[in-house]
Amino acid sequence: MIDRSYKDLLKMQRFPHTWCPGCGIGAVMKNVAMALKELGWNHRNTVAVSGIGCSGRMASYMNLDALHTPHGRALTAAETIKTVRPDLHVIVLSGDGDLASIGGNHLLHTSRRNPDITVFCNDNEIYGLTGGQAGPTTPIGTKTLTSPRGEAYLPLRLNRLLTRQPPYFFARTSVFHLNHLKTCIQEALQWQGFSFVDIVSDCIELNGRRLGFKTAHQMFKWFDQRFHIVEGRRDHLEDDELGIVKAETTLEPTVQPVPEAEKKAEPKTETLPSFTLEELQRFDGKEGRPIYIAYKGKVYDISKSPLFQGEKRMRCHVAGKDLTREIDIAPHGEDLVFRFQVVGRLA
Amino acid sequence: MKRLLSGNEAIFQGALRAGARYFAGYPISPTSEILQQAAAHADVDPNFRFLQAEDEIAAAIATISAALSGVKAFTATSGPGFSLMQEALGWGHVVEAPCVFVNSMRVGPSTGMPTQPAQSDLLQIKGGSSGDYHPIAFYPNSVEECFRLTVTAFNAAEESLSPVILLSDAFLSHLYEIVDLEGVETVSVPRTREPLGTGKRLFTGISHDKMGNTRTSHPDIYRDWFAEVKARHDGAARKVPLHEYLPCRGAGTLLIAFGITSRIVSPLKSRFSLFRPIRMVPVLEDELREITRPYHRIIVVEGSDGQYASWVECAIGRKVDRVSCLGGGFKLQWIRNQIEETLKGEAP
Repeated sequence: MIDRSYKDLLKMQRFPHTWCPGCGIGAVMKNVAMALKELGWNHRNTVAVSGIGCSGRMASYMNLDALHTPHGRALTAAETIKTVRPDLHVIVLSGDGDLASIGGNHLLHTSRRNPDITVFCNDNEIYGLTGGQAGPTTPIGTKTLTSPRGEAYLPLRLNRLLTRQPPYFFARTSVFHLNHLKTCIQEALQWQGFSFVDIVSDCIELNGRRLGFKTAHQMFKWFDQRFHIVEGRRDHLEDDELGIVKAETTLEPTVQPVPEAEKKAEPKTETLPSFTLEELQRFDGKEGRPIYIAYKGKVYDISKSPLFQGEKRMRCHVAGKDLTREIDIAPHGEDLVFRFQVVGRLA
Repeated sequence: MKRLLSGNEAIFQGALRAGARYFAGYPISPTSEILQQAAAHADVDPNFRFLQAEDEIAAAIATISAALSGVKAFTATSGPGFSLMQEALGWGHVVEAPCVFVNSMRVGPSTGMPTQPAQSDLLQIKGGSSGDYHPIAFYPNSVEECFRLTVTAFNAAEESLSPVILLSDAFLSHLYEIVDLEGVETVSVPRTREPLGTGKRLFTGISHDKMGNTRTSHPDIYRDWFAEVKARHDGAARKVPLHEYLPCRGAGTLLIAFGITSRIVSPLKSRFSLFRPIRMVPVLEDELREITRPYHRIIVVEGSDGQYASWVECAIGRKVDRVSCLGGGFKLQWIRNQIEETLKGEAP
């Protein structure tokens, strides 16, 4: 007896769905639903978020509270839900064009902030819903509606983008390698932090046929030729490998040390000579005399200040005076004064 | 307790008074202070969350997502950032997310004059996103009103189930006044939408039926949905027909000014009658028709090239004179001269 209880997670009343026969999205959605069921996740504790596109329709078939966001914004929405409601599990079901092209900036920054969400990317290497235009993951040389002579640029390698610094969880799998797909989905759902599953999928109608495939099955065979599964702990995935690369935060984030303000021992002013304001006035820098100023009851020798060299005043600061008021309203802080030596106290 | 507060600070305090628990934003003059306050507040209040997003697109999406998740949320930006938020704003109207967008206007288009005030985002707030929708927007003219109207905006958002816009300008956002916020009495409408994780709903930007099922080729379903949303927005807006009217005995000319320009022209109240719309959209059509009727001439003084004036003309079916303070130069003397020049000419 096959366990079909995963259908609780799907809005079966909305079937038949909008996808073409042979499309890989069904396999992605079904296996995600099965994994959720096994984990006991349901509409009370799980929210699905999608972007736009064929793959973006997945959220609308999930029997959960679901958000169908504007094009490319699924990750931001998912991160926010997790921030506001940490008690909810948040999954993102979307496609390569949505997540990596129009949502590329959000992919960079949401993965950097590492919220505890799981992203399932139906990677069919094409813009399917709009008719078959080249996408960010379309292999170089592929003929599409917008690359009639073959795609001119190298594809975006999501594994390299998303595993640039720990922590990360990146899995590449395909809709043909079903057991591997299931393992990846389950591991990703249980990963603490941002996890991304890149699921190589087929779009027979708007990509495969142009490539010369007659059936989805032929495309699956092609995936079998193109990719092989690698087991065990890996540092990175080659372009023809399916597997999981993950790294927890091993290093404590290095926080740039803030230089501590130089702490000078509080000078004992009791033993120092005291000056009256009249006496202070003589130390104005003229005829080789030193320049003294008073600040908060202390007298400082600021002869070495480059701003007073050879001149009696610097803007509103006059030598030989009590400058407490002027310095307090000056645009600079009082630390400018503390650099200088205390030579006495104000009587 | 009386305090010296800026417009930006009052807006943030108003949001807290209204019960806001989420802020997302991106640094931009002249509303960065709101973002900074949110960061500082999130540090001391574990119930308040904040995100400095990678751009205004993400900030707006985050605000709406937070509103759907179950908290009152808001964001703040100025003209260029608001342009980026338009996409999310349209989405917010379709998924019916109650939240508040603060737009502090500065001289545009594009980067324009980042620290100079303007009032030229009116067309942008009324219909900058794609399709038809009916936003509600308020525009205070003092620091205390910034506080009060922020609460009003949150209430209108809950009643209309839509993103409501609070306008400000570079002048008002950085205007410091002495206010006693504790003494300001406000009433806050509680959150109405069920939070996420309680149902099997679909919040989609696609046209949909009441069950949330996507319906992309059903005109009837769309029309029903649109009529319901429009009626709800109109109802919420009708509760707050905020405006200020200062008639001047014997004056044949009415000055219409709003936001900071209404403060600047207030010394002219001994010569002209003054009308200040506070709810900017939906346009106060009935009030404008009623109040403008006895006046021989109507002059709209605004920091844009006649954006509000054209709405007034639409509403009252008469031509009006325009005094446009462009490029941030809001000076009473200049405005007075322009009015004198205008009055020398024929009525339009």
